[in-house]
Amino acid sequence: MTKTRDFTIVRALAGHKIAMAGLIILVGLVGISVFAPWIAPHDPNEQDLYRVLEGPSRLHLLGTDDVGRDLLSRVIYGSRVTLVIGGVSTLFAGIIGVLLGLVAGYKGGFADMVIMRITDTFMSMPLLVLVLVMIATLGPGIKNLIIVITVLTWPAYARIVRGEAMRVSKLPYIEAAQALGASGLRIMFRHILPNIMAPIIVTASISVGINIMMESTVSFLGLGVQPPTPTWGNELKIGYAYLEVVPLFSIAPGLMITLAVLAFNLIGDGIRDVFDPRLRE
Amino acid sequence: MKPFILKRILYAFLILFLVSILIFLLGRAGDPLEKAALSTRMGMADSEVVDALKVQFGLDRPLHVQYYLWISNFIRGDWGKSLFYREDVREMFINRLPITLELFAGFVFWSAIIGFPFGFIAALKRNSWIDASLTTGAVIGISIPVFWQAIVMIYLFAVAVHIFPPSGYVPFSEDPWKNLLSIAMPSFILGTHSAGIISRYVRSSLLEVLGQDYIRTAFAKGLRAKAVLLRHAFKPSLIPVVTVIGLEWGYMLAGAFIVEYMFAIPGLGRMCMNAIFAGDFPIIQATLILVAGNIILVNFVVDLLYGFLDPRVRVQ
Repeated sequence: MTKTRDFTIVRALAGHKIAMAGLIILVGLVGISVFAPWIAPHDPNEQDLYRVLEGPSRLHLLGTDDVGRDLLSRVIYGSRVTLVIGGVSTLFAGIIGVLLGLVAGYKGGFADMVIMRITDTFMSMPLLVLVLVMIATLGPGIKNLIIVITVLTWPAYARIVRGEAMRVSKLPYIEAAQALGASGLRIMFRHILPNIMAPIIVTASISVGINIMMESTVSFLGLGVQPPTPTWGNELKIGYAYLEVVPLFSIAPGLMITLAVLAFNLIGDGIRDVFDPRLRE
Repeated sequence: MKPFILKRILYAFLILFLVSILIFLLGRAGDPLEKAALSTRMGMADSEVVDALKVQFGLDRPLHVQYYLWISNFIRGDWGKSLFYREDVREMFINRLPITLELFAGFVFWSAIIGFPFGFIAALKRNSWIDASLTTGAVIGISIPVFWQAIVMIYLFAVAVHIFPPSGYVPFSEDPWKNLLSIAMPSFILGTHSAGIISRYVRSSLLEVLGQDYIRTAFAKGLRAKAVLLRHAFKPSLIPVVTVIGLEWGYMLAGAFIVEYMFAIPGLGRMCMNAIFAGDFPIIQATLILVAGNIILVNFVVDLLYGFLDPRVRVQ
């Protein structure tokens, strides 16, 4: 990828309304999580047992939870764990999947066969149910969630990267590189990988959203990150019990999850549009 | 075509075999009996009892023998006994299957009745405000977590306004109208998610097909727009839609688990969720292998549909 091409992609993305909308939401969410200690009006774990399950007031803008903690502060801090799990598991799964996919696609043969059988096996299973089963076995916690999500989601990258690597491997410039004596590693990382980054980035972006959704679901079911750590899924779990008393308790954290997933979906869509000019005006 | 189908069938069985090994190992991970004992609060059970139970469930034998016994019994129809209900797992399945199938019928109904028309209209009204709002609606539908959508809808239509029951299931034989009411909301929630996916793919693939030369030819020879759309554009535009249904099938099944759990619908999903919480591994294993088998079957059907939708595949 040359400098000029990078530049056009950035400009194309900047002009893409959908991608920009997603990016603005994402920057907002990341900003909230980074600056949580300065933004949050209260300590997220400070209890006030005289003020439980209150509606919105000037002191507590979104009201309080079942032990009198400030809901807004908990929602703000909740973004941290959720975004970290979503991001880190995507990064790990992406690295594993891209490496194996490159090997499978470029080398072919036995390695390809083994990697693709594993991929197909994983992709024939209901992901979310597997996450639940594995977390129930391994036990809850941030580390285990990241491990489980990574182990279960890398095949998605491997499959896409393999297909793209196979396609690119047949192009003349790869043959030229081989003729010049470039090593397999060099061809994979210097010549193939930079040219198949677009579908990888699209997959990764959408995958962060899916991972956030999985983490929230697992936390909502009580198997994820353990209280009192605030995560959106945890808040929803408690809030759901008081749905009739304080609906905001379930609505606020759920809205945040939806916004986060939406942001990554919009960015993914935007990048796909920019890289796939067939549907562009 | 025939060798193609045969190859696909063989491959499907190979994957099913690998899936069964993975599921078996998952079920055996982390000393299942101990976990099950803990979750029934008889955690104090002395080691002699646990050892006796291990012999009873065959957990004292080497892993490959256990796998062989499990899979051969499974194929013969002996799916073991639930650790908690002491019932035959296969019987539990057969009893709960109709309920889940009804939920799925509702789910297919909603996703088709929303997804296809929305995608169609968005493509035909491309770049209008109608297109923009339908496309935005679709991406929001995809982004809302199933459990949160359930909470919001329960609040709106069961707590604030009493239209639907907040949870529970009424059998059709008992009261057909209440049965429909109890299944309407959960199936709608499942349906909106996949409707979002379907409408996006219908839109983009229809747009792509409409840009092809043969569509221009069809218009040029004087065919009416309706004829062009239904006879020439619709069928080929289904190919990506069918692909994505195959890819998303597992995700949709998992969504059904969550919805059954939240709405207290006594189907397969709820049974499996409770089994996961309790560590009831005979049920977990049986559910996972059947769900995986179902996903593999759906993807096989998708492959066959390609041949039907795209004659070029048949030739190859």
